[in-house]
Amino acid sequence: MAEDFEVEFIEREDRKARFLVRGMTPAVANGIRRAMVADVPTFSVDTVRFVENSSVMFDEMIGLRLGLVPLTTPLDDFEEGDVVTLALDVEGPATAYSGDIESSDELVQPAELNVPIIELKEGQRLQLEADAVLGSGKAHAKHQGGVAVGYRHLHRVEVVGDANEFEEQEPNILRGVIEEAAAEHAADESAEDGALVPTSEFDNDLTKRYPGKDVEVHDVPGAFVFHVETDGSFTVEELVRRAVESISDRAAELEEKVAI
Amino acid sequence: MMIPVRCFTCGNVVGEHWDEFKSRAREGDEDPAAVLDELGVERHCCRRMMVAHKDLVDVVAPYQ
Repeated sequence: MAEDFEVEFIEREDRKARFLVRGMTPAVANGIRRAMVADVPTFSVDTVRFVENSSVMFDEMIGLRLGLVPLTTPLDDFEEGDVVTLALDVEGPATAYSGDIESSDELVQPAELNVPIIELKEGQRLQLEADAVLGSGKAHAKHQGGVAVGYRHLHRVEVVGDANEFEEQEPNILRGVIEEAAAEHAADESAEDGALVPTSEFDNDLTKRYPGKDVEVHDVPGAFVFHVETDGSFTVEELVRRAVESISDRAAELEEKVAI
Repeated sequence: MMIPVRCFTCGNVVGEHWDEFKSRAREGDEDPAAVLDELGVERHCCRRMMVAHKDLVDVVAPYQ
């Protein structure tokens, strides 16, 4: 692609972001979404060696729960397939939390410290050693760094006339982000043409934004609003960068392979 | 038995909020919806994980 994408953030937090990309085809948008879900690797517990487990849960169930605990993944320092050893030793009466997991590498730590693994009663004990492997979402969903990753078209709402004033207006629900195109009709007085407004600002109901007006909604061509969350393994920025990188690497590889 | 670590549907980590949700909305008398909003559990798939959960460790423990 010769043209650059134009990226604009609408919401931006460490683990959650919404951003608008212009100049993109649906194929590329979906490619990036899929890369975020399946191609960006994260650490996750893969093998567990139990020393003692006298809890009420079977080894396998605890293994599953450990696998789902997100681990911080600094992708600059590790390669896919790398292994980090973790250990957990809790004696009841107590609850074993993800924060009790001790890691052999200080870069790879549980991203959430407050996830209950198993509640232990008097005399019960959980002692184990686990191997966390850096793998991608293609192999197992526990390695997915992106959570609820999706995109929508950017909507452009145009006011086409007045609604029938003797009829009660039905709610006109729209979700996503709109590009303001009729600021003079908006209920919000600070509205400006061209501004990006998340529909949650007006309860996802266009009749609240443009009271008494008939509106038409159009998709803006080539403009996509991504909603990205991560499980805590890394920041949203890292996830998106890595996803785009993985696509461009593969595209470059393909180009090289088919070159004559 | 124990609160699932992640939401079945979307994969968001919900287990971390269980202790607080339990003490405030189950044992306390706060409105569960308000507690979930405050905890940042906003999608209804994640919310049902918390609302529909029942701890069973205490029930199973005597039969160990």
